[in-house]
Amino acid sequence: MKRRWLIVALGAAVLIMFEARPAYAMHIMEGFLPPLWALFWFAVTIPFWVIGFRQLQRIVRDKPEVRLLLGFAAAFTFVLSALKLPSVTGSSSHPTGTGLGAILFGPWVMSVLGSIVLLFQALLIAHGGLTTLGANAFSMAVVGPFVAWLIWRGLAGRAPFWLVVFLAAALADLSTYVVTSLQLALAFPDPAGGILAAFAKFGAIFAVTQIPLAISEGILTVLIMNALQTNAAAELQALEIKGVRA
Amino acid sequence: MLRIIDQYAFANRLRAVDPIQKGAIAVATILLCLVLDRPLVGWLALAWMVMVTVWYARVPLRVAGAVIGAESVFLALSVIGIAVSVGNEPPAAALLAIPFGPLWLSATGASLQTALHVLSRALGSAAALNFLILTTPLIDLIELLRRLRAPALLIELMALSYRALFVLLDTLDQMVTAQTARLGYASWRATLRSSALLGSRLFIVAYQRSQALEVALTARGFAGELRVLPLSYTVDRQLWLIGGLIGASLV
Repeated sequence: MKRRWLIVALGAAVLIMFEARPAYAMHIMEGFLPPLWALFWFAVTIPFWVIGFRQLQRIVRDKPEVRLLLGFAAAFTFVLSALKLPSVTGSSSHPTGTGLGAILFGPWVMSVLGSIVLLFQALLIAHGGLTTLGANAFSMAVVGPFVAWLIWRGLAGRAPFWLVVFLAAALADLSTYVVTSLQLALAFPDPAGGILAAFAKFGAIFAVTQIPLAISEGILTVLIMNALQTNAAAELQALEIKGVRA
Repeated sequence: MLRIIDQYAFANRLRAVDPIQKGAIAVATILLCLVLDRPLVGWLALAWMVMVTVWYARVPLRVAGAVIGAESVFLALSVIGIAVSVGNEPPAAALLAIPFGPLWLSATGASLQTALHVLSRALGSAAALNFLILTTPLIDLIELLRRLRAPALLIELMALSYRALFVLLDTLDQMVTAQTARLGYASWRATLRSSALLGSRLFIVAYQRSQALEVALTARGFAGELRVLPLSYTVDRQLWLIGGLIGASLV
């Protein structure tokens, strides 16, 4: 009897995962992290914010007109994350845009812009939260963009263009997913198996949505970059993006 | 969801109240939820915050409910991860245990308690955050950050993106309608193709809009700083009283 109830509950959970379209499923919610961990992730993220912000200030001092473009860039990332993507499993998911942003604007700038986007998501659509902003910013605005950028820089010219873009975007998503699972596991270690078991557990829960998302976002980013090359070569060159053929 | 929250943020009864006041109450509640860290505090905060949002700020219950409902769905997922643990052998003191291939899924009384505990804490603080975002437009919160001496460039970037956001969102909607009318989302392949077109066109629109704005500002003597008049706010004594009561009851 007990087991039957559990199977029903598990079935309901799976249904929720597929049907509720967890749009920004990797955002850690307000109040979810214990205070110490929330503070810890702020402490980890703040150096990136400081360096990124200094860089932004330097860019704006040299070219004051760029600030308008930066504002639109943040808005673009936000709107991109509202795009509905067909996912491989049949449900739909939303891209994070961090891979594309890192390719277009660089990882330091993206760590500030991405955090603004995360703050907006918390304040405008109630995804994520204020006390968990440090943790979310670390996984989505720091690790994701840096992974994307390293791949983009490391592989550009050595592999086919589409493959580099795909890997940069898909691995940015995957690294975000791994880091968030790790953050949850560190805060809530498994009573039986410790942090490692908890990591596997949270990883398995989110794998259902995040792995298909990484693949579709990779494909989408390749298509966007291709379209940008044919339609917006002048704009890309104005941004001095390296590795793009004009 | 975005437009609904934004709409009520502008159209609720507490719109003119100083954002410092609303922010202080929300942040204090969140901090109390986190620091006191008792399940009862979380549930109480949830009840109080929903009540203040619905009765005092006059945000319809179905709106406040929809926001917190969307949050609880995601929360449920994460809480399952805390409640259930995975092991190689059948656990000793489990309340529930089912074999799953070679692995055992189990839930103990303690883990269920932790899960409920986290659930209450997160729901309480989420309700407090919802109170803030459903009663305060983002532009007021940016103004609040300016008064708290956040760097000028950051404030400006945020104000600009907030404005750009709705411009781009409207453009996006128009493009989606046009694409849908031409069967752009009729199949999986078409959807991917249309999404890619959408993303790249949106980038170009964003770029061109920012250039147009730059030209317009330069024509009006833009010297590298955007200044706007601050809004005037009222102070709601009754709300301080309610906030104090909530704080006292939580402690």
